Amino acid sequence: MWRYLDGPHARPFAVLAACIMLLALVDGDNGRFLSAATAYSTLQTFATISLVTLGLGLTMMIREFDLSVVGMYGMAGCIAVLTGTHYPWFGLWFALAVGLIAGIVQGFIIVRLHLASVGVTLGGLLVFIGIAFVLTESRSLPYDNLGVALLLNERVGGIFSIRGIVALVFFAGAAAIFAWTRLGRDIIAIGSDRRAAMTTGVKVDTLIIGIFAFSGLCAALSGVLLSYSLASASPAGLSDVIAPAAAGAILGGVSLGGGSGRPLGIAAGALTLAVLRSGLNAVGAPPFVNDITMGAVLLTVAVLDGPYLARRLIEARRWARRALGA
Amino acid sequence: MTERSTAGADSAGSVAADPLRARFDRARVFSWAQTIGIVVLLAIIFATPGFLAGPSILSLLTTVSFIGCVAIGMTLITISGNIMSFALGATVGVTAMVFILAVNWLGFGPGLVVGLLIGSLLTGLQGLLIGWVRANPIIVSIAALALIYGVTQAFTEKGTIYADPGTVPASVKGKIAGIPIEFIVFLLSAVVAQLILSATRFGRNLFMVGSSFRAAEAVGVSTWRTVTGAYLWAGFFTSLAGIMLAIRYDSANMDYGVAYDYDAIAAVLVGGTAIGGGQGSALRTLAGAMVIASVQVMLLLQGLRQEWQYLAAGLIVLAVIILQARGSGR
Repeated sequence: MWRYLDGPHARPFAVLAACIMLLALVDGDNGRFLSAATAYSTLQTFATISLVTLGLGLTMMIREFDLSVVGMYGMAGCIAVLTGTHYPWFGLWFALAVGLIAGIVQGFIIVRLHLASVGVTLGGLLVFIGIAFVLTESRSLPYDNLGVALLLNERVGGIFSIRGIVALVFFAGAAAIFAWTRLGRDIIAIGSDRRAAMTTGVKVDTLIIGIFAFSGLCAALSGVLLSYSLASASPAGLSDVIAPAAAGAILGGVSLGGGSGRPLGIAAGALTLAVLRSGLNAVGAPPFVNDITMGAVLLTVAVLDGPYLARRLIEARRWARRALGA
Repeated sequence: MTERSTAGADSAGSVAADPLRARFDRARVFSWAQTIGIVVLLAIIFATPGFLAGPSILSLLTTVSFIGCVAIGMTLITISGNIMSFALGATVGVTAMVFILAVNWLGFGPGLVVGLLIGSLLTGLQGLLIGWVRANPIIVSIAALALIYGVTQAFTEKGTIYADPGTVPASVKGKIAGIPIEFIVFLLSAVVAQLILSATRFGRNLFMVGSSFRAAEAVGVSTWRTVTGAYLWAGFFTSLAGIMLAIRYDSANMDYGVAYDYDAIAAVLVGGTAIGGGQGSALRTLAGAMVIASVQVMLLLQGLRQEWQYLAAGLIVLAVIILQARGSGR
């Protein structure tokens, strides 16, 4: 068990614990932060962002980047709301199928044409946003099946909602697959050294397509759950999800160079962001604090992960020594 | 991400001379095909009834200029091998805000300088991080996006700020010889950017850094200066868009630049600048922006709803990205 608790994999959980303790300290005796209401809203935020984070995080693990999750998130919500008024399950499955197929197509293009994933998924992103606008005629669509919305947000056991439970189950499944099958190790291998992974018999191309399919599926599921629970979908309103998703994956221990991270870490990363957002809100901090925190985290990690950082520091030290010596 | 494209370029270099030449010719054929395609498309568009009628073409020229200036800036980032920035749209908003504040406080001329400085420095700072420690450009720009929106929210309680009456001279609004001033600025920007790219040492270094970072480093190019320079100029051209928007509406709002990043990268790619870096031109971006805008106006004139414009732009970009791969023979 200790194997899992020390080393880089423990970092996301340590950050999460530190955030919770810090917010509890700031709140003091007011009881605004450590309450069932905050826990519930934290898990609601978690449900909104965590699955996109998981999909994006997995693509980052294999040294790719799926920009299209933002577009898929919005488009899937619109599709589900348009098709699922009377049969919510049909809307859900339809949107999920679209997400899956779109992911497979993008993965296929990336693998077969040897293209950089950022470019291809940028194209995908623009196409998905376009489709969402065409489907909704640029309006915000109401979802008339309010029963579904109420059901998804219903509190279970004080702090959970159905939506949150779906996200948690998804993560549990991904973590189990990662821990107990070869798949997890293969994914890490592709991210660390693609050529070596290929020589050792990992089906690299198939796995890449599979991960983009999974990423599309995750983004679609998030979008559907959010649109159903808000009882509306709009083509433009959902687009500010890329920053939290990237920040969550990075906080969750996914390195920008690929080859590290695991689903439980990503869950902890997304939960950290959710705790920060709900917690800062609960202790009365203005909303922009959240944006600034997220930006600062991303920027710090980007610099710390910079491949030339060590070299530059040595250069700077040498330069400083020379300047002082002269 | 960038790693991948440099790896591709390296392996291309190690192939024997003959296939290399074949590959190069294919790229050239593709580039010609694209130019011809653009010309044919423009011909079809101009033949669309009602297109050349005054109002539609004038409004086209004005709207394309705002996105166009951002696209010129984006071109430099893409050529430098850093794909794209997600923070240019937010920079447009910030520049407009700061410009209006500075104009109210100091007057029009100083306001112009302050606006251009803030946009250039904000973006240049990102370039410094990306060039100096080679931080991931996508993540840096997403971080900058969140920070810019967070910080501006902290300083502006009310969403829109207005210029004091009479502070913006009437002469900078309107037209010169029937052409909107915005469009003239856009054309000049494209020409200046093209001169920077093709007639200066910085421009040559930029292409080298974009096509092979390691080779550029090996021949002694100061890579971080080049990348920072590319972002500084990108910020400069982007802040032009912010200032022009603020002048046009006599007010500023953080919503001004929303989604400009996507429109700009679409124009860059349609113009034929390679997403992997090291190839492209500002004049082609000018053409790309005109093509996208013209297609959008044509769709409107053909009676299609506005939403189809977004989809059309997306499909064009996706097609161009896939075709680029074919063209470069990979």
